[in-house]
Amino acid sequence: MRASDDLLMAAIHSASEELSGKGVRFEVFARLGESVRLSCGASGTLERRSSREFGVGCRVSGGGRAGFGAASGGGARAGRAAARAALGVMLPAGDPIPPRSVLGANGTSLSHDFPDGEKLAAILGDVVARVSGGRHGVTPVQARVLAGTSAAALATGEGFHALATAGGAVMELLVAPPEGPWRHFHFAAQAVLDLDPAAIAERVLETALLATRGRQPERQLADVLLAPPVAAPIVEALVQYLTAASDKNREVRVSGAWHLTDDRLGPEGLLPIPWDGEGLPARRIELIRREKVGERLATWELAHRLGGRPGGAVRPSYRHPPAAGPANLVVHPDPSTTQSNLLGRLANGFYLAVPAGTVRVDAAEGRFGVHAAAVALQDGKPAAAHPLVELRGSFRRLLAGLLAVGADSESFSLGCAVTTPSLLVRRLEIA
Amino acid sequence: MERDQPSGLAELAAAVTRARVPGLEDLYFERRAESLWHLAAGRVVAREASLHEGAAARRDGLLLSGDGLDRTVLAGLLGIASRSLPSFSVPHFPEPPSLGDALSEPPAGWTGVRWRWSWAAALTGRKAVTITRPQLAEVTLADGQRALFCWPPDAGTLPESPVGRTVDDARPGKARVLLAPAAAAVLLHELVGHPLEGDLLLHGASPWSGRIGECIMQLPLSVTDDPTRFDLPGGFSSDDEGTAAAPRPLLAEGVLAGALADRRTAERLGVEPGNARRAGVHSPPRPRISNLLATANCALPEPPRTDAAIEVLALASGTLEPASGLLLLRVRTAFSLRRGTRRRVLAPFTLVGTVASVTGGLLAAAQPSDRGAEPGWCAKDGEVVPTGGLAPWLLIEGLEVR
Repeated sequence: MRASDDLLMAAIHSASEELSGKGVRFEVFARLGESVRLSCGASGTLERRSSREFGVGCRVSGGGRAGFGAASGGGARAGRAAARAALGVMLPAGDPIPPRSVLGANGTSLSHDFPDGEKLAAILGDVVARVSGGRHGVTPVQARVLAGTSAAALATGEGFHALATAGGAVMELLVAPPEGPWRHFHFAAQAVLDLDPAAIAERVLETALLATRGRQPERQLADVLLAPPVAAPIVEALVQYLTAASDKNREVRVSGAWHLTDDRLGPEGLLPIPWDGEGLPARRIELIRREKVGERLATWELAHRLGGRPGGAVRPSYRHPPAAGPANLVVHPDPSTTQSNLLGRLANGFYLAVPAGTVRVDAAEGRFGVHAAAVALQDGKPAAAHPLVELRGSFRRLLAGLLAVGADSESFSLGCAVTTPSLLVRRLEIA
Repeated sequence: MERDQPSGLAELAAAVTRARVPGLEDLYFERRAESLWHLAAGRVVAREASLHEGAAARRDGLLLSGDGLDRTVLAGLLGIASRSLPSFSVPHFPEPPSLGDALSEPPAGWTGVRWRWSWAAALTGRKAVTITRPQLAEVTLADGQRALFCWPPDAGTLPESPVGRTVDDARPGKARVLLAPAAAAVLLHELVGHPLEGDLLLHGASPWSGRIGECIMQLPLSVTDDPTRFDLPGGFSSDDEGTAAAPRPLLAEGVLAGALADRRTAERLGVEPGNARRAGVHSPPRPRISNLLATANCALPEPPRTDAAIEVLALASGTLEPASGLLLLRVRTAFSLRRGTRRRVLAPFTLVGTVASVTGGLLAAAQPSDRGAEPGWCAKDGEVVPTGGLAPWLLIEGLEVR
């Protein structure tokens, strides 16, 4: 047993002890996360952070009341504090805690080594040197690399107990092209050594120089090819929307090109884990397939109340109770479609290479918007560069208008893990 | 500044000094309590509570942080034996307030109210400084938008909701725009506040780098960062490095007059520190905005609606792109105006301008300078701190509707 397991067990034990005999059903979740982050600014100064986050979240239910409490701090003390906090905020509500009979684990966690700071610094330095060198005029403004591991434990008052580990690495670069807006790049991998400095630098330079100057396009409806960094946050927003949408808004026309899953079990995607946020065994959830919106992501309580299957809960932090949401999204690629095929099919439209800022969502209207660097194509050839365009559209149109997907899948660590290839979509609004 | 003798923090600071930890810059502690009420149709349907505590040490350019606030955690961060540290105490987590006492009837359009209390301390050398901040109220609206107040939440300062009214698209192109105080506060936050943060000034990530002392606008607008305003969400008694809070003039009648600095940037900028803020124990202190207060000489007594084509009540967000100087304001609530009268509700749109076009296009300011719900949570490199703002109405030309 590792030291992290000792800490998790101490927290689970103290919370369970606090809650036993109180006449409530309960669930205790504890997580220990350790990470190293290095960042390098324009001055070349290396800023280093090493953090250790530990906390406990408790759900309690009994007598027609339920509550949630969380606490951070030392193992046993945090467990007790979270348990007391949960008991202190119970209000009339249905029982949200799944029964023991549906809980379990599917598969095993991958083992992750704690990141080596020296290796991280070497990778960061390598990327910065590659981006800085040459006569292209691109300057790194800031480069960051973050790597970490986490261990989580879940236990219920009915005797269920499960452990899981996870890990990953993220590199972000903010670069200044010789002119035009600064560009932000994001790369994610399951381990530090999977970050390839040469490939990262090549991608950054190629994309940063793509649309450095140009005029604003007229507002229009146009076909768009979304490169993976632009597609990923839109896919995440789409799934968040579909998770909360009414049944009527989920019954829409869907292009046959869509195949989107929440691949919690892996091996696809960035972040497989053996159980969901409530301790239900992980499984692949078909979200969009065969021209239909598929299963709705649901917690046990939601599925029980509204119908459907549970197993779609996530718990991004011990601070929050489990909620329905995506964990490890995968847009399945079409191995036969190269990027030149996609550009050929685009003919007239816009290629959106890299996002500028986050995706904005109007959940009530079912619409989204994002800024990005773009190149306009006419007759399949680049016609104009646009440093900053705004892409807008409705999720309904996005679902119906997907013409094709590429084979160039990339993974991103956003609000959840997203792995997607390029997406070719008909008639979205460019402004 | 408040010294906390009875808590043992001063003795702890002395012990840390005696331990001679190599390269130690400072120690920071924080305790935070939150309570969240989930609302539906004006009723509380669920509650959550959370208690957080942690500490951080800056040593040799490394930020080491950990959850927990006891001698073992501190000793681990400092790399010393825990027996070399004296016992100390920190304030108990307070009981959350009663939502019913604060708000007899939550508006039907609210989906959540969050209360936040925090206490912090900074230990630098032999000095221990406790940091107090206002209790916060964060309101979540039905469309997911969040608004931030000092506790208790005030339904009266939220912009009116246009839901259910006819919606038109704003006509693309240049427009003369009237920004209500809450929206004007966001504009000034992006245009004046962020670009005068010391780290951005020093890294060349600000259009105002090397321009302190220059007049940047004809409108005689003055802007001060004021953390001493405890009626606004960005207030604090001392900054997160332990420097006592004080108002900091940033713009004096259109002239760039100052910068926001932490200890690392203050010397290089030739200004006093006092603006260091952390998003939590796991984030380092950086120069950040607290509460931006804007006033204008010769402000008009009434908003000049007859001179504008669009009246913007609320923004969803604002962004200044430092290299191109492009300012993007995402409009959430706005009306088209005709002869000074509101005609139609406008669907959300984006206002775009350059720093030069916006500063040059500020035509007039008008009373009242009013406290709105914005600016709220301010993110910088993903690190979020609460901020406040007070601004007059602003009339601007040169912004483009997209």
